[in-house]
Amino acid sequence: MQVSVGDTLPEFVREGTVDHWNRFAAANYEFAAHHWDDAVARDEGFPGAFAMAPLQQSFIYAMLRGWMGDQGRIEAVNIKLRSPFIRGRTLTTSGEVTGIIERDGSRSVEFNITQTDDQDTLVSEATAVVGLF
Amino acid sequence: MTRSMVTDEMRSIVGKVMRETVSHPISLADIRKWVMAVYYPDPPPRQFWDEAFAATLPQGGIVAPEDFNPFAWMTAQPTPLDPPISQTAFSEAELGVDPPAYKAMLLTDIKTRHNGQAMRPGDVIRSTHKITDYFEREGRMGHMLYTTLSHELTNQDGAWIRTTDSVLVRY
Repeated sequence: MQVSVGDTLPEFVREGTVDHWNRFAAANYEFAAHHWDDAVARDEGFPGAFAMAPLQQSFIYAMLRGWMGDQGRIEAVNIKLRSPFIRGRTLTTSGEVTGIIERDGSRSVEFNITQTDDQDTLVSEATAVVGLF
Repeated sequence: MTRSMVTDEMRSIVGKVMRETVSHPISLADIRKWVMAVYYPDPPPRQFWDEAFAATLPQGGIVAPEDFNPFAWMTAQPTPLDPPISQTAFSEAELGVDPPAYKAMLLTDIKTRHNGQAMRPGDVIRSTHKITDYFEREGRMGHMLYTTLSHELTNQDGAWIRTTDSVLVRY
Protein backbone atom coordinates (compact mmCIF):
# COMPACT_ATOMS: atom_id res chain seq x y z
CA MET A 1 0.00 0.00 0.00
CA GLN A 2 1.43 3.38 -1.04
CA VAL A 3 1.40 5.96 1.73
CA SER A 4 3.22 9.25 2.31
CA VAL A 5 3.34 11.80 5.10
CA GLY A 6 0.79 14.49 4.30
CA ASP A 7 -1.66 12.12 2.61
CA THR A 8 -5.25 12.93 3.54
CA LEU A 9 -7.89 10.29 4.23
CA PRO A 10 -11.34 10.14 2.65
CA GLU A 11 -13.60 12.09 5.00
CA PHE A 12 -16.37 10.35 6.94
CA VAL A 13 -19.40 12.66 7.08
CA ARG A 14 -22.63 12.10 8.99
CA GLU A 15 -25.70 14.20 9.74
CA GLY A 16 -26.61 14.61 13.39
CA THR A 17 -30.03 12.99 13.41
CA VAL A 18 -32.00 11.10 16.02
CA ASP A 19 -32.74 8.59 13.23
CA HIS A 20 -29.06 7.69 13.32
CA TRP A 21 -28.47 8.06 17.05
CA ASN A 22 -31.46 5.85 17.89
CA ARG A 23 -29.91 3.06 15.87
CA PHE A 24 -26.64 3.40 17.74
CA ALA A 25 -28.48 3.62 21.05
CA ALA A 26 -30.06 0.26 20.24
CA ALA A 27 -26.75 -1.33 19.21
CA ASN A 28 -24.84 0.02 22.21
CA TYR A 29 -27.67 -0.04 24.79
CA GLU A 30 -27.19 3.64 25.48
CA PHE A 31 -30.44 5.48 26.13
CA ALA A 32 -29.59 8.64 28.10
CA ALA A 33 -32.30 11.20 27.35
CA HIS A 34 -29.83 13.98 26.48
CA HIS A 35 -29.06 12.05 23.28
CA TRP A 36 -32.59 12.44 21.90
CA ASP A 37 -34.49 15.00 24.01
CA ASP A 38 -33.48 18.64 23.38
CA ALA A 39 -35.20 19.81 26.56
CA VAL A 40 -33.18 17.45 28.73
CA ALA A 41 -29.94 18.42 27.00
CA ARG A 42 -30.71 22.15 27.41
CA ASP A 43 -31.47 21.59 31.06
CA GLU A 44 -27.94 20.16 31.38
CA GLY A 45 -26.47 23.27 29.69
CA PHE A 46 -26.12 22.05 26.12
CA PRO A 47 -27.65 23.79 23.07
CA GLY A 48 -29.60 20.66 22.15
CA ALA A 49 -29.50 16.88 22.09
CA PHE A 50 -26.03 15.57 21.31
CA ALA A 51 -24.44 12.39 19.99
CA MET A 52 -22.90 9.63 22.06
CA ALA A 53 -19.10 9.80 22.37
CA PRO A 54 -18.72 6.11 21.39
CA LEU A 55 -20.51 6.86 18.10
CA GLN A 56 -18.11 9.71 17.38
CA GLN A 57 -15.30 7.29 18.20
CA SER A 58 -16.76 4.76 15.76
CA PHE A 59 -16.78 7.41 13.01
CA ILE A 60 -12.99 7.69 13.43
CA TYR A 61 -12.62 3.92 13.18
CA ALA A 62 -14.86 3.92 10.09
CA MET A 63 -12.73 6.58 8.41
CA LEU A 64 -9.51 4.66 9.12
CA ARG A 65 -11.11 1.44 7.90
CA GLY A 66 -12.29 3.17 4.73
CA TRP A 67 -8.74 4.30 4.04
CA MET A 68 -6.87 1.04 4.70
CA GLY A 69 -9.48 -1.52 3.61
CA ASP A 70 -8.14 -4.99 4.46
CA GLN A 71 -4.52 -3.82 4.19
CA GLY A 72 -4.03 -3.14 7.89
CA ARG A 73 -5.36 -3.07 11.42
CA ILE A 74 -6.05 -0.29 13.90
CA GLU A 75 -3.51 -0.31 16.76
CA ALA A 76 -4.40 2.82 18.73
CA VAL A 77 -6.85 5.72 18.73
CA ASN A 78 -6.57 8.55 21.29
CA ILE A 79 -9.42 11.05 21.28
CA LYS A 80 -9.77 14.38 23.09
CA LEU A 81 -13.41 15.43 23.21
CA ARG A 82 -13.73 19.21 22.82
CA SER A 83 -17.43 19.97 22.18
CA PRO A 84 -20.62 17.96 21.79
CA PHE A 85 -21.90 16.95 18.35
CA ILE A 86 -25.27 18.72 18.42
CA ARG A 87 -28.40 17.45 16.71
CA GLY A 88 -29.07 19.11 13.35
CA ARG A 89 -25.42 19.71 12.60
CA THR A 90 -23.15 17.76 10.24
CA LEU A 91 -19.97 16.15 11.53
CA THR A 92 -16.97 15.69 9.26
CA THR A 93 -14.19 13.36 10.37
CA SER A 94 -10.89 14.17 8.61
CA GLY A 95 -7.42 12.72 8.86
CA GLU A 96 -3.87 13.21 7.65
CA VAL A 97 -0.83 10.96 7.71
CA THR A 98 1.78 12.44 10.05
CA GLY A 99 4.34 9.66 10.26
CA ILE A 100 5.42 6.30 8.91
CA ILE A 101 7.42 3.98 11.16
CA GLU A 102 9.25 0.97 9.69
CA ARG A 103 10.51 -1.53 12.24
CA ASP A 104 11.53 -5.20 11.90
CA GLY A 105 9.85 -5.47 8.52
CA SER A 106 6.52 -4.02 9.66
CA ARG A 107 5.11 -0.61 8.86
CA SER A 108 2.92 1.56 11.08
CA VAL A 109 1.23 4.77 9.99
CA GLU A 110 0.42 7.65 12.34
CA PHE A 111 -2.45 10.11 11.85
CA ASN A 112 -3.80 13.38 13.13
CA ILE A 113 -7.59 13.42 13.05
CA THR A 114 -10.21 16.10 13.63
CA GLN A 115 -13.95 16.08 13.90
CA THR A 116 -15.54 19.41 13.01
CA ASP A 117 -19.17 20.38 12.60
CA ASP A 118 -20.73 22.59 9.93
CA GLN A 119 -20.50 25.61 12.25
CA ASP A 120 -16.70 25.16 12.38
CA THR A 121 -16.87 23.86 15.94
CA LEU A 122 -14.00 21.54 16.80
CA VAL A 123 -15.81 18.52 18.24
CA SER A 124 -12.76 16.34 18.83
CA GLU A 125 -9.08 15.93 18.07
CA ALA A 126 -7.43 12.54 17.86
CA THR A 127 -4.29 10.67 16.96
CA ALA A 128 -4.25 7.13 15.64
CA VAL A 129 -1.84 4.39 14.62
CA VAL A 130 -2.56 1.77 11.98
CA GLY A 131 -0.33 -1.24 11.31
CA LEU A 132 -0.10 -2.18 7.63
CA PHE A 133 0.14 -5.83 6.54
CA MET B 1 -5.35 26.59 48.46
CA THR B 2 -8.25 24.42 47.33
CA ARG B 3 -8.67 21.24 49.28
CA SER B 4 -8.05 18.04 47.34
CA MET B 5 -11.12 16.01 46.35
CA VAL B 6 -9.06 12.80 46.58
CA THR B 7 -9.26 11.07 49.94
CA ASP B 8 -6.90 8.39 51.30
CA GLU B 9 -9.71 5.87 50.82
CA MET B 10 -9.99 6.85 47.15
CA ARG B 11 -6.20 6.48 46.70
CA SER B 12 -6.39 3.02 48.27
CA ILE B 13 -8.56 1.65 45.43
CA VAL B 14 -6.33 2.82 42.55
CA GLY B 15 -5.45 -0.25 40.51
CA LYS B 16 -8.09 -2.50 42.07
CA VAL B 17 -10.68 -4.21 39.86
CA MET B 18 -13.94 -2.40 40.56
CA ARG B 19 -16.10 -4.19 38.03
CA GLU B 20 -15.89 -7.43 36.07
CA THR B 21 -18.22 -8.23 33.18
CA VAL B 22 -18.57 -11.34 31.02
CA SER B 23 -20.43 -11.27 27.70
CA HIS B 24 -22.66 -13.89 26.21
CA PRO B 25 -21.13 -15.46 23.07
CA ILE B 26 -20.92 -12.86 20.31
CA SER B 27 -23.38 -13.52 17.48
CA LEU B 28 -23.20 -12.58 13.82
CA ALA B 29 -26.40 -10.59 14.36
CA ASP B 30 -24.71 -8.52 17.09
CA ILE B 31 -21.93 -7.58 14.65
CA ARG B 32 -24.33 -6.82 11.79
CA LYS B 33 -26.51 -4.58 13.97
CA TRP B 34 -23.47 -2.70 15.25
CA VAL B 35 -22.14 -1.87 11.79
CA MET B 36 -25.62 -1.05 10.48
CA ALA B 37 -25.92 1.48 13.30
CA VAL B 38 -22.48 3.04 12.83
CA TYR B 39 -22.58 3.35 9.04
CA TYR B 40 -26.24 4.44 8.73
CA PRO B 41 -27.58 5.58 6.28
CA ASP B 42 -24.97 3.88 4.06
CA PRO B 43 -24.57 0.11 3.92
CA PRO B 44 -21.71 -1.12 6.09
CA PRO B 45 -18.58 -2.71 4.57
CA ARG B 46 -19.29 -6.16 3.20
CA GLN B 47 -16.65 -7.82 5.40
CA PHE B 48 -19.00 -7.36 8.37
CA TRP B 49 -22.14 -8.98 6.96
CA ASP B 50 -21.30 -11.29 4.00
CA GLU B 51 -19.86 -14.55 5.33
CA ALA B 52 -18.76 -15.86 1.91
CA PHE B 53 -16.94 -12.61 1.13
CA ALA B 54 -15.35 -12.38 4.58
CA ALA B 55 -14.05 -15.94 4.21
CA THR B 56 -11.84 -14.74 1.34
CA LEU B 57 -10.15 -12.10 3.52
CA PRO B 58 -7.05 -12.60 5.71
CA GLN B 59 -9.19 -12.98 8.86
CA GLY B 60 -10.99 -15.95 7.24
CA GLY B 61 -14.52 -14.94 8.21
CA ILE B 62 -16.61 -12.22 9.77
CA VAL B 63 -14.97 -10.55 12.76
CA ALA B 64 -16.29 -7.67 14.83
CA PRO B 65 -15.00 -4.18 14.12
CA GLU B 66 -12.37 -3.01 16.61
CA ASP B 67 -14.81 -0.57 18.24
CA PHE B 68 -17.55 -3.20 18.82
CA ASN B 69 -19.22 -3.40 22.26
CA PRO B 70 -19.96 -7.06 23.14
CA PHE B 71 -21.76 -6.16 26.38
CA ALA B 72 -24.87 -4.35 25.09
CA TRP B 73 -28.32 -5.30 26.44
CA MET B 74 -27.45 -8.35 28.52
CA THR B 75 -24.36 -9.96 29.95
CA ALA B 76 -23.65 -13.40 31.37
CA GLN B 77 -22.07 -11.69 34.38
CA PRO B 78 -23.67 -9.75 35.92
CA THR B 79 -27.03 -11.27 35.01
CA PRO B 80 -30.24 -9.21 34.68
CA LEU B 81 -31.09 -10.30 38.24
CA ASP B 82 -27.95 -8.70 39.70
CA PRO B 83 -27.82 -5.01 40.68
CA PRO B 84 -27.57 -2.96 37.47
CA ILE B 85 -24.26 -1.30 36.57
CA SER B 86 -23.62 1.44 34.08
CA GLN B 87 -21.26 0.78 31.19
CA THR B 88 -20.41 4.44 30.88
CA ALA B 89 -20.54 5.91 34.39
CA PHE B 90 -18.73 4.69 37.47
CA SER B 91 -18.46 5.36 41.19
CA GLU B 92 -15.92 4.61 43.88
CA ALA B 93 -18.91 3.24 45.79
CA GLU B 94 -18.55 0.06 43.70
CA LEU B 95 -15.53 -0.67 45.94
CA GLY B 96 -17.19 0.58 49.10
CA VAL B 97 -15.52 4.01 49.07
CA ASP B 98 -17.42 7.28 49.30
CA PRO B 99 -17.05 9.27 46.05
CA PRO B 100 -16.36 13.01 46.25
CA ALA B 101 -19.23 15.46 46.05
CA TYR B 102 -19.63 16.88 42.53
CA LYS B 103 -22.21 18.61 40.36
CA ALA B 104 -21.29 17.16 36.97
CA MET B 105 -19.20 14.41 35.37
CA LEU B 106 -17.97 14.63 31.77
CA LEU B 107 -15.87 12.39 29.54
CA THR B 108 -12.85 14.23 28.14
CA ASP B 109 -10.51 11.60 26.65
CA ILE B 110 -10.85 8.12 25.16
CA LYS B 111 -7.51 6.36 24.59
CA THR B 112 -7.69 2.86 23.11
CA ARG B 113 -4.96 0.35 22.33
CA HIS B 114 -5.53 -2.83 20.33
CA ASN B 115 -3.28 -5.82 19.77
CA GLY B 116 -4.86 -7.22 16.62
CA GLN B 117 -6.77 -9.95 18.45
CA ALA B 118 -10.17 -9.86 16.74
CA MET B 119 -13.50 -10.55 18.41
CA ARG B 120 -15.17 -13.38 16.50
CA PRO B 121 -18.67 -14.86 16.53
CA GLY B 122 -18.85 -17.29 19.44
CA ASP B 123 -16.20 -15.49 21.50
CA VAL B 124 -16.97 -14.80 25.16
CA ILE B 125 -15.42 -11.50 26.22
CA ARG B 126 -14.39 -10.62 29.77
CA SER B 127 -13.83 -7.04 30.84
CA THR B 128 -12.41 -5.40 33.93
CA HIS B 129 -12.65 -1.78 35.04
CA LYS B 130 -10.03 -0.15 37.27
CA ILE B 131 -9.33 3.39 38.38
CA THR B 132 -5.69 3.89 37.41
CA ASP B 133 -5.11 7.57 38.16
CA TYR B 134 -6.47 10.68 39.86
CA PHE B 135 -5.27 14.19 39.12
CA GLU B 136 -6.68 17.63 39.84
CA ARG B 137 -6.63 20.99 38.07
CA GLU B 138 -8.21 24.38 38.34
CA GLY B 139 -10.50 25.00 35.37
CA ARG B 140 -13.25 27.25 34.11
CA MET B 141 -15.72 25.42 36.33
CA GLY B 142 -13.50 25.65 39.42
CA HIS B 143 -11.58 22.81 41.05
CA MET B 144 -11.81 19.74 38.82
CA LEU B 145 -11.01 16.11 39.59
CA TYR B 146 -9.85 13.96 36.67
CA THR B 147 -10.11 10.20 36.97
CA THR B 148 -8.66 7.68 34.53
CA LEU B 149 -10.82 4.58 34.23
CA SER B 150 -9.10 1.66 32.51
CA HIS B 151 -11.29 -0.89 30.74
CA GLU B 152 -9.56 -4.06 29.51
CA LEU B 153 -11.07 -6.73 27.27
CA THR B 154 -9.83 -10.31 26.94
CA ASN B 155 -11.37 -13.32 25.24
CA GLN B 156 -12.19 -16.82 26.52
CA ASP B 157 -8.54 -17.86 26.00
CA GLY B 158 -7.26 -14.94 28.02
CA ALA B 159 -5.94 -13.16 24.92
CA TRP B 160 -5.85 -9.40 25.32
CA ILE B 161 -8.11 -7.58 22.82
CA ARG B 162 -8.04 -3.93 23.78
CA THR B 163 -7.64 -1.49 26.66
CA THR B 164 -9.51 1.79 26.79
CA ASP B 165 -8.42 4.50 29.22
CA SER B 166 -11.26 6.98 29.66
CA VAL B 167 -10.61 10.25 31.46
CA LEU B 168 -13.64 11.64 33.27
CA VAL B 169 -13.76 15.02 34.97
CA ARG B 170 -15.88 15.77 38.02
CA TYR B 171 -16.50 19.28 39.36
